[in-house]
Amino acid sequence: MKDKLIDLVNITKSFDGQTVLDELNLYIRENEFLTLLGPSGCGKTTTLRILGGFETPDSGQVIFNGEDITKLPPNKRQLNTVFQKYALFSHMSIAENIAFGLKIKGKSKTYIQDKIKYALKLVNLEGFEDRSPDSLSGGQQQRIAIARAIVNEPKVLLLDEPLGALDLKLRQDMQYELIRLKNELGITFIYVTHDQEEALTMSDTIVVMNQGYIQQIGTPEKIYNEPENAFVADFIGDSNIIPSLMVEDKLVKILGVPFKCVDTGFGKNKPVDVVIRPEDIDLVSPADGTMTGIVTHLIFKGVHYEMEVTANNFEWLVHSTDMVPVGTEVGIKVDPFDIQIMNKPVSEDEEAVGVEE
Amino acid sequence: MIKKVSQKVYMALIFILLYAPIVTLIVLSFNASRTRAKWGGFTIDWYKSLFQNSQIMNALYTTLIIALLSALIATILGTLAAIGMQGMKKKSRTVFMGLTNIPMLNAEIVMGISLMLLFIAFHITLGFSTILIAHITFNIPYVILSVTPKLKQTKRSTYEAALDLGASPLKAFFSVVFPDIMPGVLSGFMLAFTMSLDDFVITHFTKGPGIDTLSTKIYTEVRKGIKPEMYALSTLLFVTVLILLILINVSPADSKKARKVITKRTKAVSIICKRVVPALMAIVLIAGGFYYAGQGGLGTDDKVIVYNWGEYLDPEVITIFEEETGIDVVYEEFETNEIMYPKVQSGAIAYDVVCPSDYMIQRMRENGLLAELNYDNIPNIKNIGKTYLEKSEEFDPGNLYSVPYCWGTVGILYNKTMVDEPIDSWSVLWDEKYKDNILMQDSVRDAFGVTLKYLGYSLNSTDLDELTAARDMLIRQKPLVQAYVIDQVRDKMIGNEAAIGVIYSGEAIYTQQENADLEYVIPKEGSNIWIDSWVIPKNAQHKENAEKFINFLCRPDIALMNFEYITYSTPNTAARDLIEDDSIRNSPIAFPDDEELKDCETYRFLGDEFDSVYNEMWNKVKAS
Repeated sequence: MKDKLIDLVNITKSFDGQTVLDELNLYIRENEFLTLLGPSGCGKTTTLRILGGFETPDSGQVIFNGEDITKLPPNKRQLNTVFQKYALFSHMSIAENIAFGLKIKGKSKTYIQDKIKYALKLVNLEGFEDRSPDSLSGGQQQRIAIARAIVNEPKVLLLDEPLGALDLKLRQDMQYELIRLKNELGITFIYVTHDQEEALTMSDTIVVMNQGYIQQIGTPEKIYNEPENAFVADFIGDSNIIPSLMVEDKLVKILGVPFKCVDTGFGKNKPVDVVIRPEDIDLVSPADGTMTGIVTHLIFKGVHYEMEVTANNFEWLVHSTDMVPVGTEVGIKVDPFDIQIMNKPVSEDEEAVGVEE
Repeated sequence: MIKKVSQKVYMALIFILLYAPIVTLIVLSFNASRTRAKWGGFTIDWYKSLFQNSQIMNALYTTLIIALLSALIATILGTLAAIGMQGMKKKSRTVFMGLTNIPMLNAEIVMGISLMLLFIAFHITLGFSTILIAHITFNIPYVILSVTPKLKQTKRSTYEAALDLGASPLKAFFSVVFPDIMPGVLSGFMLAFTMSLDDFVITHFTKGPGIDTLSTKIYTEVRKGIKPEMYALSTLLFVTVLILLILINVSPADSKKARKVITKRTKAVSIICKRVVPALMAIVLIAGGFYYAGQGGLGTDDKVIVYNWGEYLDPEVITIFEEETGIDVVYEEFETNEIMYPKVQSGAIAYDVVCPSDYMIQRMRENGLLAELNYDNIPNIKNIGKTYLEKSEEFDPGNLYSVPYCWGTVGILYNKTMVDEPIDSWSVLWDEKYKDNILMQDSVRDAFGVTLKYLGYSLNSTDLDELTAARDMLIRQKPLVQAYVIDQVRDKMIGNEAAIGVIYSGEAIYTQQENADLEYVIPKEGSNIWIDSWVIPKNAQHKENAEKFINFLCRPDIALMNFEYITYSTPNTAARDLIEDDSIRNSPIAFPDDEELKDCETYRFLGDEFDSVYNEMWNKVKAS
């Protein structure tokens, strides 16, 4: 693993008496694609703005390369930001937009010309030098915004929901584009989004945030498969979150029925939450299942069928490529390693959105 | 079909209503005849003489400099204020926005008076700088108003993007935010420029002696009738404002179209905006600075501050006086006695020599505003006719305070072709024969004065029975009167629109030149004789210079110059003897016999109480 490039230490920030970030601690390694993921108001954009220097934390420190940059103004930081709404300078041509930062740094004319060419090539917009930003589509404008940021060769590129304003197809294209860029440039990307799919697709590391607190930090696989609390489980993908009882190590009672699992260390007869991803549930014949239920809803989703199975007074969400008609009695089976055990939420921010106890 | 036609007719009506006055003005500015009652052929002479009139050009220059400077400074301050307010929280922003809007909605006169009071309170001498400060003050809200919407449209993120790319906050503002709000700033500047250009009320209250903008200059001419040059000037002003408005409204749309691709042409435009315009402004300002420095007069202490009626002194006379004595004349004009009085009384400006009318001199004397004259310094008093000094004693016993300058009578102007009998009495004003052919002066003292004289009373009567009788006479007369007017008596009589009019003698001479059928008479019952005289206010700083000035004006050759310029009767008998033209020297209008003046009285100030009695009765007449 590479060294820490940025270290956020005990960052607290409030606006008008409302705490947005509370004692946040987070480090970012060099060359990492890190995503801050969470619903709106979770503090992810504020975190990014503190990194960019547009906000000063009430307390805490921002360490960059071992130096405290908490009070350093944005124009003195070796970071560049790509803004949510592109923020291109509409009275300047594309070339002038890209050259803006370089001109301030006093680079030579030929250097700037080369850089403009290089950057436009990088974002696949060669020959757009003399166009005006207003004449470009949203996706093109966003790519110019990225080009404008990267010509400055920042150590870190901050991206604030850069794809938020684009349509689905364009968004997917741009995701690949960003991954390619990151690999070609070899710089650190810090990306803010509320779109879990975007986060899972691009990131090396995902930081899930809610109500100013970090809920979980991990690789996309770990976040998806082993959510640490109900909020993360609920926010990332669909899941069945079921209040259960941990009988002992490797044995959990779900809706009164004992299931084998792989988790240990929760103690004996302890109330926990269990997360089971809908695609991890196997529908088998009633006799083979750990539990039996009746299919109550069925929707075709393209890749798979989405079904609801009522068993032991709980509506199970099930994804399967095999179709089971409504009204069929089925058995429910879950492999032990597909059962994820979580501690009960200890605070509001850890709770699943819209799930009552 | 009908709907369409009526739509068009309606539109046409609206436009006629809106633009008929301005079209009239423009047409008159090309009228060769001096009077607006006659079309004398097409001419551009008024435009030529306009540009040769140094007073007007001076006022024009002052107007432009003040408009430019105040707009520039207000634009800077207003833009900064708008940016500051944009950064505020919503609640305080709303409060501040409201506060800045109030001066715009506030009555101008309130603004003017309060600014004047403020300047006086802080002992700031009224002059160029006070006008400038006042204009900046009332311009700032307009700039804020036009910049704020642009600021609201500007995304904060572009500013942050510039910071992010390494720009300092100042650089980020000028290279990113400013171009975005530029249209708003520009239109704010234009708006401020225009507002400053045509402001009258606030300028009027905050200006000092010796300085005039176009609007105040035009207004001072009210008493003697507005000269056609002013029509020409107003036309030019209208055209200028029109062009400015077109510029304000057209430029943003244009630039948006041109934006698609940033071309060389838009670059050229931006170079013009960035380099050429500021350079031109700088040149004008610097030239202006030299101009004012060159004038120098304002700086020296050897001066005399003159406060006179508009168009009431030959400018050449001032030049000669300055050359002969080395004393600088700071010259300011007023429009009516009532406007002059509070200015002198407030002491905001220490005038050295003022030219009020008879009744006002009495009032100023009674209120202790006047200094006694030292006649050792005014030997030329000997040139003033005895009759006039005697008449002056009615308002200035002993001639302690005033030296007569101009005088005249009130009489009847009639059209020989429209009346049957020789006219010699006020009684014609009550003659049913002339129903709807009579013009009365729309002024309380003149209307009552005429009636009281006709009834055989004094025109300064304070006897309620006499006044009631006069009032009833006026009510009886009302159905016969075509109109109660002031200036228009002259034009209507020239245009043969009425048979009989009450008029001042000074105007009568001029009307006769335009229409030979007109005749002037002082009715046998007697009338009003008015005298405008020079006085020195008690707080004058240059009393000796003021006396030198008065003495100078009493010199026969100088008095003659002024007589020829003003055309009102001069009390200077030595000057009268110098008049070459017999018909003028012996004109019964300009110089009536002493016998005719025997029953003529000057108005006296009757005190506030009787002022209101007169006004109340006059209102009854008007309302009957």
